[in-house]
Amino acid sequence: MNGETENAREVLFQVKDLHVTYRRPGQKAVEAVRGVSFDLHAGETLGIVGESGSGKSTIAKTLMLLQPSSGGEILFRGTNIASFTSAARRQYRRDVQMVFQDAVGSLNPRMTIRQALEEVRASQPEPGPGAEELLDRVGLSKAVLDQYPRELSGGQCQRASFARALAVNPQVLVADEPVSALDVSVQARILNLMRDLRRELGLAILLIAHDLSVVRNVCDRVCVMHRGLFEDVGPAEDVFDHPRSDYTKNLLAAVPDVRRSLAARKQP
Amino acid sequence: MKALWNRLSVGGRLCLAVIAAYFLCAAWGGARSLRARLADETPAYNVVNVSARYQPPSATHWMGTDNLGRDVSARLVQGAWISFQVGIGTSLIAIPLGVLLGLLGGYFGGKTDSLVVWLCATVASMPGLLFILAISLIAGKGILGILLGIGLTTWVGVCRTIRAEVMKHRDRAYVQAARVLGYSHLRIMFRHILPNVAHLILIQFSIRFPGSVATEVFISFLGIGVQGEPSWGVMIGNARMRLWQGVWWEMTFVTLAIFVLVLVFNHLADELRDILDPALRNERN
Repeated sequence: MNGETENAREVLFQVKDLHVTYRRPGQKAVEAVRGVSFDLHAGETLGIVGESGSGKSTIAKTLMLLQPSSGGEILFRGTNIASFTSAARRQYRRDVQMVFQDAVGSLNPRMTIRQALEEVRASQPEPGPGAEELLDRVGLSKAVLDQYPRELSGGQCQRASFARALAVNPQVLVADEPVSALDVSVQARILNLMRDLRRELGLAILLIAHDLSVVRNVCDRVCVMHRGLFEDVGPAEDVFDHPRSDYTKNLLAAVPDVRRSLAARKQP
Repeated sequence: MKALWNRLSVGGRLCLAVIAAYFLCAAWGGARSLRARLADETPAYNVVNVSARYQPPSATHWMGTDNLGRDVSARLVQGAWISFQVGIGTSLIAIPLGVLLGLLGGYFGGKTDSLVVWLCATVASMPGLLFILAISLIAGKGILGILLGIGLTTWVGVCRTIRAEVMKHRDRAYVQAARVLGYSHLRIMFRHILPNVAHLILIQFSIRFPGSVATEVFISFLGIGVQGEPSWGVMIGNARMRLWQGVWWEMTFVTLAIFVLVLVFNHLADELRDILDPALRNERN
């Protein structure tokens, strides 16, 4: 949005020159992220778009301490997350949460929704909101409480994962392709949910997606990623309406435009 | 469990019924011999009657008598009791060991996994029979030596199966989500992954049980197994002596008992694997 309010906001994440390399014994090392820097402010939604294999999910994994970085640093409120003590790491797990692309798979198949939510609650030093309140917050009815993930639809599972992530009262939500496995009408509802959560809870959201329209609709700022590097960074409208890099231009041109193609078809 | 029963075929249910019948016989025999031992009497399977040696099956001795005039059916029942002790006892050693090591290796990977794989390879490379011999030298001949010997060699199969499955689950989103929520490794391993691989334990048990029973028979036949009690292996060793003179009943009934028990267990194991293994599950539904 506008620069003034953004500057006033607290900076939650500062990512500086992040490199991530996958090394597997007997295989060539793959440098998935090759020097990426960005900030995430409190309450903003930052999008990272890019094609498959561009390294966007790797950034999410590295932020969540699921994958070590090989260079650069990630500061959360000024502290490098790689040098966390175990107490700081536990607090970090409460401040930053994640939802995954595989909505059904991110819930334990042997646990009911209630068990999954109660487990988070039991693991907290001071119990957060109850299971029913959490479901209410993400727009699910109490009827799903005693159901297993396989009995629910993809959209319902994704809402349940949002509820589970919210159970620790986080400030940042990392959403790794949260809607790309869902069908279009459900996508829109999940995106609305994210917008609501941001407004009501003041969540900062890092949204990772490959679908440009998804990012455009929800995000304040956008980073366009290609082969481990950011090609374009800026406010969403700027990036989409006045793309600077060639890659972003090509990416935008590749989006099928229904009106344009209809118009083209009318001409003989 | 009830859902599992419903998905079993008629054959599978029949197998379960046969196993239950075996178990009841074995438990009855075990209880009877225990009572006799407590009362300081000679248990039924050891009552010697030299004047009634080598009697063919009759109304008093359903399965005939052996070289000392002991009742073959009583000995067979006692043998079933020993077989169940071996089948369950070795599983109680092998399955926890295999599950624990498989979980550790599969979940942590890296050096832990290398150690687990090395342990598996080392144990698997030792000839099982020699290992069992060595253990029975230390633990003394008898059922304890057999339990330890079989239990400490057969966990490798359990461990490999569990490890491979855990490795698949380790990268699943629900495990990642659990890590992101800050759950401890122990909690993730035992509360999250283990319930999702637990069906393998049931399959492994049903595969290992008949294997252990057969191994025990073999060891006892060689004379380094159960002592002083009529294990099926001991009975076969005994029955071998006069088989050429037409004393067929002891050999026949013992081998039949082993054959049926191993057969129904193997069939049940096959069926359980088909029902519970997720890879095959989709094809069935």
